[in-house]
Amino acid sequence: MNGPLIVQSDKTLLLEVDHDQADNCRRAIAPFAELERAPEHIHTYRVTPLGLWNARAAGHDAEQVVDALVQYSRYPVPHALLVDIAETMDRYGRLTLSKDPAHGLVLTTTDRPVLEEVLRSKRIKPLVGARIDPDTVAVHPSERGQIKQTLLKLGWPAEDLAGYVDGEAHPIELDESGWALRPYQKQAVESFWHGGSGVVVLPCGAGKTLVGAGSMAQAKATTLILVTNTVSARQWKHELVKRTSLTEDEIGEYSGTRKEIRPVTIATYQVLTTKRKGIYPHLELFDSRDWGLIVYDEVHLLPAPVFKFTADLQARRRLGLTATLVREDGRESDVFSLIGPKRFDAPWKEIEAQGYIAPADCIEVRVNLTDSERLTYATAETEEKYRYCATTDTKRKVTEALVRRHQGQQTLVIGQYIDQLDELGEHLDAPVIKGETTNAQREKLFDAFRQGEISVLVVSKVANFSIDLPEATVAIQVSGTFGSRQEEAQRLGRVLRPKADGHPAIFYSVVARDTIDQDFAAHRQRFLAEQGYAYRIVDADELLAGG
Amino acid sequence: MSTEQTQEPATAPTQSAPAAAEPPAPPRSLAEALRARDDASLAALLRARPDLLTPVPGDLTQLATRAGTRASVVRALERLDRFALQTAEALAVAPDPATYETLLSLLTGDCAETSPHTTAVVRASEALPRPEADATAIEHALPGALATLREQALVWGPDDRLRLVRTARELLTPSPQHPSPTGLGPTVAEATAGMSPGRIQEIVAAAGLPTTHDAVSAVAALTELFTDRTRMSALLDGAPTESVVVLSRLVWGPPYGQVTAEPAAHLRWLLDRGLLLPTAPGTVVLPREAALHLRGGRAHRQPEPVPPALESAAEHRPQVVDATAAGQAYTALATVEELLKDWDEGGPAVLRAGGLSVRDLKRTAVALDVPEPVAAFWVELAYAAGLLASDGEADERYAATPAYDEWLELPAAERWAQLASAWLAATRTSGLVGGRDADFDAGGLRGAEAGVERETVLSPSSVGASARSPSQHRRAPSAKDRTLSALGPGLDRSAAPEVRHRVLSLLATLPEGSAPTAESLLARLRWERPLRAGATQPFAPPSAQPSAQDDLRTRLARWTLTEAEFLGVTGRGALSSHGRALLGAVPAPAAPDARTAPDTHSASTPGPHSASAPDAHSAEAAVNAARAARLLAPLLPEPLDHVLLQADLTAVAPGPLQRPLADMLDVLADVESKGGATVYRFTPGSVRRALDAGRTASDLHAFLAAHSRTPVPQPLAYLIDDVARKHGHLRIGAASAYVRCDDDAVLNEILADKRSAALRLRRLAPTVLAAQADPAALLDGLRGMGFAPAAESPEGDVLIARAHAYRTPPRTAPEPVPDGPPVPDATLLGGAVRAIRAGDRASTAPRRTAPEHTGELPRTTPAETLATMQAAVLTGQAVWIGYVNAEGAASQRVIAPVRVEGGFVTAYDHTADEVRTYPLHRITGVAELAEDQI
Repeated sequence: MNGPLIVQSDKTLLLEVDHDQADNCRRAIAPFAELERAPEHIHTYRVTPLGLWNARAAGHDAEQVVDALVQYSRYPVPHALLVDIAETMDRYGRLTLSKDPAHGLVLTTTDRPVLEEVLRSKRIKPLVGARIDPDTVAVHPSERGQIKQTLLKLGWPAEDLAGYVDGEAHPIELDESGWALRPYQKQAVESFWHGGSGVVVLPCGAGKTLVGAGSMAQAKATTLILVTNTVSARQWKHELVKRTSLTEDEIGEYSGTRKEIRPVTIATYQVLTTKRKGIYPHLELFDSRDWGLIVYDEVHLLPAPVFKFTADLQARRRLGLTATLVREDGRESDVFSLIGPKRFDAPWKEIEAQGYIAPADCIEVRVNLTDSERLTYATAETEEKYRYCATTDTKRKVTEALVRRHQGQQTLVIGQYIDQLDELGEHLDAPVIKGETTNAQREKLFDAFRQGEISVLVVSKVANFSIDLPEATVAIQVSGTFGSRQEEAQRLGRVLRPKADGHPAIFYSVVARDTIDQDFAAHRQRFLAEQGYAYRIVDADELLAGG
Repeated sequence: MSTEQTQEPATAPTQSAPAAAEPPAPPRSLAEALRARDDASLAALLRARPDLLTPVPGDLTQLATRAGTRASVVRALERLDRFALQTAEALAVAPDPATYETLLSLLTGDCAETSPHTTAVVRASEALPRPEADATAIEHALPGALATLREQALVWGPDDRLRLVRTARELLTPSPQHPSPTGLGPTVAEATAGMSPGRIQEIVAAAGLPTTHDAVSAVAALTELFTDRTRMSALLDGAPTESVVVLSRLVWGPPYGQVTAEPAAHLRWLLDRGLLLPTAPGTVVLPREAALHLRGGRAHRQPEPVPPALESAAEHRPQVVDATAAGQAYTALATVEELLKDWDEGGPAVLRAGGLSVRDLKRTAVALDVPEPVAAFWVELAYAAGLLASDGEADERYAATPAYDEWLELPAAERWAQLASAWLAATRTSGLVGGRDADFDAGGLRGAEAGVERETVLSPSSVGASARSPSQHRRAPSAKDRTLSALGPGLDRSAAPEVRHRVLSLLATLPEGSAPTAESLLARLRWERPLRAGATQPFAPPSAQPSAQDDLRTRLARWTLTEAEFLGVTGRGALSSHGRALLGAVPAPAAPDARTAPDTHSASTPGPHSASAPDAHSAEAAVNAARAARLLAPLLPEPLDHVLLQADLTAVAPGPLQRPLADMLDVLADVESKGGATVYRFTPGSVRRALDAGRTASDLHAFLAAHSRTPVPQPLAYLIDDVARKHGHLRIGAASAYVRCDDDAVLNEILADKRSAALRLRRLAPTVLAAQADPAALLDGLRGMGFAPAAESPEGDVLIARAHAYRTPPRTAPEPVPDGPPVPDATLLGGAVRAIRAGDRASTAPRRTAPEHTGELPRTTPAETLATMQAAVLTGQAVWIGYVNAEGAASQRVIAPVRVEGGFVTAYDHTADEVRTYPLHRITGVAELAEDQI
């Protein structure tokens, strides 16, 4: 009766991390509960039907779940909750998707009324074919993803035993000379491979690319990799050539400029979703080869048309990679049902503790606006308010002061508004990378930054993702996409790559006090705060006085 | 019907004066049977049928009369368990009086061989239960059932002359008006009552009997034939198969069928021999004797001598059960508090018809994060416990009562005990909320009776139709088909406390930690108290009864199970130890309920009848509650004095918090998740709320620092400071009036003047004073001070006052509405028995003198009176007096004079059971009692 776990009535589980049984408990509940928040003392897990069904799929039964709760719970677990868990888990596996030699893909049931119930649903009707016998119904092979998603929504998740196509074989090996997969990366690859398809969540800088490479080496098949932009595509290619047996020629780039289809093809989301005359001409890329593995980088950004298309790719293995499975559009569950459940998740702080990502000092700099700025802010139109307070002169001055303070350190200044960035670039005498900067120019600047030729770089949100800036130690955020939590996490990720000298990274967020800038900042920080990154708040005046 | 004399003339004390000295003769009436019973057994009768006690009957004759009234008998019958009822039903179809053996054979069946031919058909079509297996159990259980019936004065007479009281017989005997649960029809004699003698003779002849000279002997002969197994078998062996099939359809009832004017040959065969007798044009009935023959002499298809056992659904460790229940108990307390906190500043409005609107209930359900029926339960629970009530204002609203504030001050375990005992005794049932008012009659006494009456219309069913129950239609449509609302009228069900008590008592009979299946529990309850209206569906075995049509008791029992779980009386379906204590004295675990077979199980455990009304003794209930609270207290989590603060602006209380701490956090932060722990989130809004409530930033910092086990995270400190910095920047207050003057000096002068103190002026700005006095008083005051102020037109006074916690005037919790009078306690019972005894003695005492003045007051001369009294004082004998009181009302009394002096007799009055003083001049006369009456 003195366990580390407290079961709440809303089905969240609170885990006291300092408790001596905390680790055992974490292991016991991890299979079925989603880690929701991981601040310093008490971690919050949530028990969802999806999580319970995933646990069933992974071979855990209700008894194990109930045992875990009862064993570690500090207070008696409400009977109703235990019953509910057992009932929810019991719903899984009544329906099975499998391959029938004669009829192709079929949906079978062990509980006829359930089949009757789902077949009566309007949303299921178009997805199924003929009734083969009372317990079996044919499913259109192309609707495999759709029917799984729909059944999930109906509360009768189907067990997918239809397996995966192996795809066209292609030899890929990891080239582990001078480096090795980190333990958690290995674990992620194994969890993914064992589960078949799914999402791996790792913090920025924790080496997601290598998890992708490791999975490819497992699959040993032609692979389609979907990334957010061309720069990131190049980096993938670079990494793959460096870390695997693949050569430049085996890797194709399918982007706005190049349309190569090779055994391993890296495509951007942008090109796939280019719409011409009402159709997506490039979606046929999916069918252009018999892919054995599809990797979705930054899966939280997966655009809607790709969603739809992924539903038709259920017979192929899919790996989703992300740092923050927080979608501002709330479609996390679509990611889970289409790509697959979360297969691996490591709290940021845990990886940091293992030394694989740099510790970060997050500082919120509160800037007092001048009286005239406050007046202008107060009278600004509602839609202009954020822009105004995010780009005030006072903020710019503070930013400049911060840059000066960290002179000599590799510093990124990240912002949302181009004119603000241009102005900053001018004052700081630093190059600005924005949407209109050409890829060649970008790479040149990045290279220079990497070499240390430039120590300050001003970037817009184009650099949010997948640029590898190993030695950036200071990031200063001057404005952002309103309250986007994942953007904040991505930006912090820019400085989390481990530093050669091991010193901590510093992440500044410059915020105008008493404005909506501050409210947005609070929202943006929530994800990181829940990951255990405690923001320190500093008054700009003190900082300037002290610095 | 019989010649039984349940209802003696009440004025016959001397007529029926028995020769009491003789050895006990069989009683000739119920009154006599009662008279022969000892006090304890009379007390048992009165305990089982407390309605007999209001008012206390004057004597045993009156008691017997009252025990025979229809309402009382119906009430008693409804409270019988299934086997006792079956026994009574069997007695009702037996001859009157019947012997024990007859009764036994009606229940077990006589093992005499019926004709193999018919038996085969009957059995094939009806799947007879295994009578042999039951027989032993019945033999075992019958004495107990009979004892129950005797105790309740439903049956009297010795074993060789068992008599069912007449009203019970009327209620239970099969007749066209009252189809019996046995499914038997009227006797041959009854069915042929209106038949022409000629027709009877034809039947007799067709049945192969010699004709007789009159109808009476013919009927007797026919009855004799039907009851003679051998001859009857022979007769039936000759029957065409179709005829036997017809019989087999009717044999277990309903015994009525319809025939056309020109019946088919096989029906004609039966009609000719009187095996079917016409009751009305087109309707025929299978006479009782014939049916009994076909049934092998059994009155019931399925006698149920043994209560169905409780099946265990799960076994838990008692500690687990207690812990779970305690956890739930804590949740219950939290929920009730949350509910009333939610309603703290004036709850929802009271509907015009009383109760809570559906919308308010929904809102409450959302606020409590529970489904609506559960919300209704909590609301009703708080109401039953007297924690909330309507405030009775013109704009009526619900609010917490002052009792709630007292309740809050109690330790958690006692708070729980208060809730649980209120729940246990409440007649209000939240399960009905949302249902229709028409439910009210279902299963209730009136409903049962109405059902019986209505079935007359429905009972004839066609021969071809399979047995069906007409009782499905018994629910009369009600004019007021209103939805029942929580806290509204129409939720009282007098059976509720008894059912709750009984359900929990049954749980208590199981070993600790064992949870029964709901179905077996319900089956047991149905056995203990079969619905009499439901008894009209004897053709379906109890298990096959549709659950959709659950009777009220069953629904009450189901609700009890869920509610007990909500309250933490049970945990994981098993009774917790504090739940056990709450229940008070109940049979020890694993002791079988010995109600039906007291001869085999000696334990005199409280049966359903003594449990039938929850202990009215509030003292005992309070003791139980206190015991329960003591058991519960160590199981409840100890309130904590700290929380964990985290950088994501949450605070986690890893358990229940001490009240001041919880109250403060409730203001300072928003609750994000509840359960064993509480997660709070700090937001600018919540911090502002705390500041509004009069806290300062430094208070809050100190508070957090004092109660956090972890350092206060910097973002939280900043949040508080930031909000505090802005808080109070603008000030708002209320003033009744103001003084404005461009000249500061004048205002200085006013403030300096002592006379202005009464105006309570305050300087807001150099040129403005605010006053608490109203403008008129201010004007007067300033004029009095010698100024010449001018009034300004007031511009919108802003009045802001923090709302106070809203309370009703003192309210008492709703009284439970028990069914019938409360179970009398031992003292009252003793008193009642003595009073009845004495009254009886007074009315039946044979007198030595003045026998000619039967039934009148004795008359003696004052001298005789005085002499007799003095003699009685000396001998210590009781005497019988006539007495006229101050109002002139004459009465008879039996007194034992203690002394005679000054014209007064001081005597022990047997009738009143106390010592009284009588003026001699008011005594009309005195007579000595017969020796043997004393």
